[in-house]
Amino acid sequence: MQERVAEYRRVALFGGVYNNAPALHATLEDARRRDVEAVFCLGDMGGFGPHPDRVFPLLKDHGVLAIQGNYDESLAQGKSDCGCGYTDPRDNHFARISYEYTFANTSTGNKQWLGALPGRRRIRLGEHRVLMCHGSPRVINEFLWESATPTGLLKRFLGQAEADVLACTHTGIKWHRPLPDGKHAVNVGVIGRPENDGSSNVWYTVLTAGPDLSVEFIPVHYDFETLARQIEQEGLPLEFAETIRTGWWTTCLENLPSRERARGKY
Amino acid sequence: MSIRMSLPLVVNEPGAEHAPVVPFLRLSALWIQITGTWCNLECTHCINASGPDDPWLKPIAPEVAREAIREADELGVKEIYFTGGEPFLHGEILALLAAALAVAPTTVLTNGTLIDEAMADRLAGLARGAAYSLEIRVSLDDTDPEKNDRIRGAGAFDKAVRAIRILHDRGLLPIVTATEITSHEHAGGLGMYERFRGFLAGLGVEKPRVKIVPVFALGRSSREGGRRLTEDDLEGFDRGTLQCSESRVVADGGVYACPILAGLPGAKLSDGGLEASFRDAPLYHPSCVTCHETGMTCKNG
Repeated sequence: MQERVAEYRRVALFGGVYNNAPALHATLEDARRRDVEAVFCLGDMGGFGPHPDRVFPLLKDHGVLAIQGNYDESLAQGKSDCGCGYTDPRDNHFARISYEYTFANTSTGNKQWLGALPGRRRIRLGEHRVLMCHGSPRVINEFLWESATPTGLLKRFLGQAEADVLACTHTGIKWHRPLPDGKHAVNVGVIGRPENDGSSNVWYTVLTAGPDLSVEFIPVHYDFETLARQIEQEGLPLEFAETIRTGWWTTCLENLPSRERARGKY
Repeated sequence: MSIRMSLPLVVNEPGAEHAPVVPFLRLSALWIQITGTWCNLECTHCINASGPDDPWLKPIAPEVAREAIREADELGVKEIYFTGGEPFLHGEILALLAAALAVAPTTVLTNGTLIDEAMADRLAGLARGAAYSLEIRVSLDDTDPEKNDRIRGAGAFDKAVRAIRILHDRGLLPIVTATEITSHEHAGGLGMYERFRGFLAGLGVEKPRVKIVPVFALGRSSREGGRRLTEDDLEGFDRGTLQCSESRVVADGGVYACPILAGLPGAKLSDGGLEASFRDAPLYHPSCVTCHETGMTCKNG
């Protein structure tokens, strides 16, 4: 059956909500002011933050078009871990705490909603054929870091998918690479935690059709102190609250490539 | 340093014909066994019995490495690794690292003993100018000099630690790789991972990176016999989690299924072409049991 592909001129995309309802609310408000026609979430609603069920009404009420991330897949299938793809003991220690909390505090109905999300989406932005995925088009939890993703691999992904623009997330740090023949790869970033740059704001992406694609990364400032206090009140690791307040990653660091790791504090 | 030749290592190869297989999924990692088994150290647990005297697996010519990098680029490789032996014995290692870094993020596995200030400066220059990350894995088997050097040879500890310091000083964030060879000597203390992180922090390394790998029963740690995997062992197991589903190794004589078994006839999948090696890999060796049981990958993460 032919896949129906919706057409737009201007859309917002983000990934990694990570239970951060205040940042999600601020992002949706900001996107509305920028006159986007649709908002897409590339997965991982849960993890890291407090009160998982608070993000779902926002996503549903604002008509966010979501796809499934590895966290969503794990929650929906009742898996024993988040499937983030960490191999380091320290990363896995914090990931386990986060996942067990999120699993215990996500309602059955919301888990079912996550289970019904598609694994990828396609849209047209003017002439540009856009493929959205969580990690990579081939593996849901594949990390596509800017300094560790070869251009040859991106060209191969786009060729195989018959797409002009690849939009992904999962790593937590945004980037954009123009490719030959007017194609693009965009990691749209996450809104659940800052991107290890010492700033408390988070980021999302606006794509606008045109002769060439316009890629804008939009900073979102929100009430991070309230979120950090909620993290502490819920008994989640203090390291998580520190990241929210300072903008420096304190956990899930060990799979960063050297270039991205060098930019951070830890 | 010249290669001293002597009799090749005798390798006992179990049969691969009836072994379970792993389908090839994708080329995530290209490994280049650049110096074969030529090394300036002679570690007691070395998986391929590398050393200065008997490189039973020869270094590969620069043009072979360049052709592998070119082919891997066309095939959508995600990362490239250089290993040996000791890669910094190879006369063209820096030029080949530069060629690899033009294509993909690149890692070099080293014992660190040949990385002096001048080499560290060159590596830092390479990393700064590259499109992708350069990762340097420095092997160290224990945080105690005596225990380490009992495995890796006299003076190896001090030289490796010097390499870690001078790489760190240049912002290169080396990944310290340790086997579990002496872990039984630290029973009751901190786990290996925490012990190494604490050791690195004590050196002033602000962003300690540690990779722990099991000891494999081959090379100088080989034992007679050894269990092999059967189809029953793999019932319900996702074979795509094994590194031979997404890695290939270019070494003297051809392309092999994984870095652990590079050079062994049973693991050879093609005589030269990378794409020709994209076929089922036999899980024929006792070392395959270790990967199956531990989830081991030779990749950085």
